[in-house]
Amino acid sequence: MLEVKDLKVRYGNIEALHGISFTVNKGEIVTLIGSNGAGKTTTLLSLSRLPKPEAPTVVSGDIIYNGESLLKTPPHEIVSKKKIALVPEGRHIFGNLTVNENLEIATYALEKGVDVKAGYDQVYSLFPRLYERRKQRSESLSGGEQQMLAVGRALMCGADFIMLDEPSMGLAPVLVQDMFKAMKVMNESGMTILLIEQNARIALQFAHRGYVINTGEIVATGTGAELMEDPEVKKAYLGG
Amino acid sequence: MLTTLLQNVINALQWGSFYSMIALGYCLVYGVLRLINFAHGDIFMVAAYIGFVFVGFLLKFMPGSGMYGWLVLAITLPVTMILTSMLGVFIERVAYRPLREKGAHRLYVVITALMVGLVLENGNLAIFGASSRKFPEIIDKVVFTFAGVRITNLKVLVIVTAIVIFIFLQTVVNRSKIGMAMRAISYDKFGIPLMGIPVNRVVVFTFIVGSSLAAIAGVLFGMSYPVLDPYMGMIIGWKAFIAAVVGGIGDIKGAFLGGFMLGFIEILIVSFFSSNLKDLIAFTILLIILVIKPTGFFGVAKSTKI
Repeated sequence: MLEVKDLKVRYGNIEALHGISFTVNKGEIVTLIGSNGAGKTTTLLSLSRLPKPEAPTVVSGDIIYNGESLLKTPPHEIVSKKKIALVPEGRHIFGNLTVNENLEIATYALEKGVDVKAGYDQVYSLFPRLYERRKQRSESLSGGEQQMLAVGRALMCGADFIMLDEPSMGLAPVLVQDMFKAMKVMNESGMTILLIEQNARIALQFAHRGYVINTGEIVATGTGAELMEDPEVKKAYLGG
Repeated sequence: MLTTLLQNVINALQWGSFYSMIALGYCLVYGVLRLINFAHGDIFMVAAYIGFVFVGFLLKFMPGSGMYGWLVLAITLPVTMILTSMLGVFIERVAYRPLREKGAHRLYVVITALMVGLVLENGNLAIFGASSRKFPEIIDKVVFTFAGVRITNLKVLVIVTAIVIFIFLQTVVNRSKIGMAMRAISYDKFGIPLMGIPVNRVVVFTFIVGSSLAAIAGVLFGMSYPVLDPYMGMIIGWKAFIAAVVGGIGDIKGAFLGGFMLGFIEILIVSFFSSNLKDLIAFTILLIILVIKPTGFFGVAKSTKI
């Protein structure tokens, strides 16, 4: 489904990814784990094709999605045409809009005739908390609820491939569990997921496969279970 | 005494209408791009000239009085709005968007806006020369008198137009899809393409609306104060901008009420003091308001942008 080939990107003159390659197959949950500054977010931003200065410039390599290169695709078409959604770090919800309006705005780029109501039903059944708060300004939500809203928006976009950037960040452990369970439910109903996490333990537990990224390079790969048992990974990311 | 007061209120409403219509244009662009579009006053000036040229053209074919005068206005307004919008979108395309795409700091964009304003002023000077032009009279003046208070049909038109524009904008921003995108972009620009919405579409729409408002204000101003010169947009543009900030820029209601507030302050000063003191006292008052409440009179601390 997604194939990243020897991707090199830079911010200004600084090369941030030194040629990384990985694949995500349809229906998988794939995680990229690594420490702060390893290039995880840079990878997702490259895939999102957002313009400078938000995202890096691709130097070489390619991003192939369903057989076509994404390098020339503008960022809004990544969502509206390719159906790839990004749930960014920091969530970037529209705090001045209500919860419901945040979901509504995600439907604007959908083709005519798409069942929007089914989308709301799906999001609200996945995250009942959001339904309770649907008329509130979204900046009044807690961090966990904002994260749910950010994921909900990605679902409303009609995406069948979702990229999640650190969904566990700043959340209480019980909420992290909830978030990953919701992700599992989404995956079981057909969603392909690319997940980025600093919390390697939970990410590997839920993911089918994983890649370990370190200073802009892929240094290890395997199934979630294999990486959990890998002595190097254990030492560096799972606390021994 | 009461008659004089009411007369002043009418005048204040009329001036406030002009300030408000221009302030709303500043407010929209600021809300969406965080850009103080200093060229906006000059876009208003160009609009007045476009109206002037187009009315002159129409008057070759039809008389500028009676029903025909209204017909001239009814044709001139939309034509001026379209041409001025094209100018606004053109400016955005050649001057602001390249800077945005290169990730330039906001300071450079603001300076660019100032320069665009100067280019418009001097471009106008090159085309029409330094002497001022007289906007032709197209509407037969009718004076209504209520209890000694005189109000012309043109003043009624100006005030009603400003109010209709305000209601229209509130509706668009709060009820339409593109309006919701405008509100969203003012809070978080990064999130817009992630929703599959092209940022530039929202930006172009904003410039079309803002420039159209300047066009309406320009034509009505030309009809009310028929002397046009290339620098007419500068002072009134600055004043409208200050009014928008004092009202609470980034908030439509704030910009609208700020415009009227400035109108009232000015007219009240003129009725008690010499008109030479008008701007001095008016801006001292506005300065004090800003010092006490830096977010503007009707503004909220952050967040509720447009």
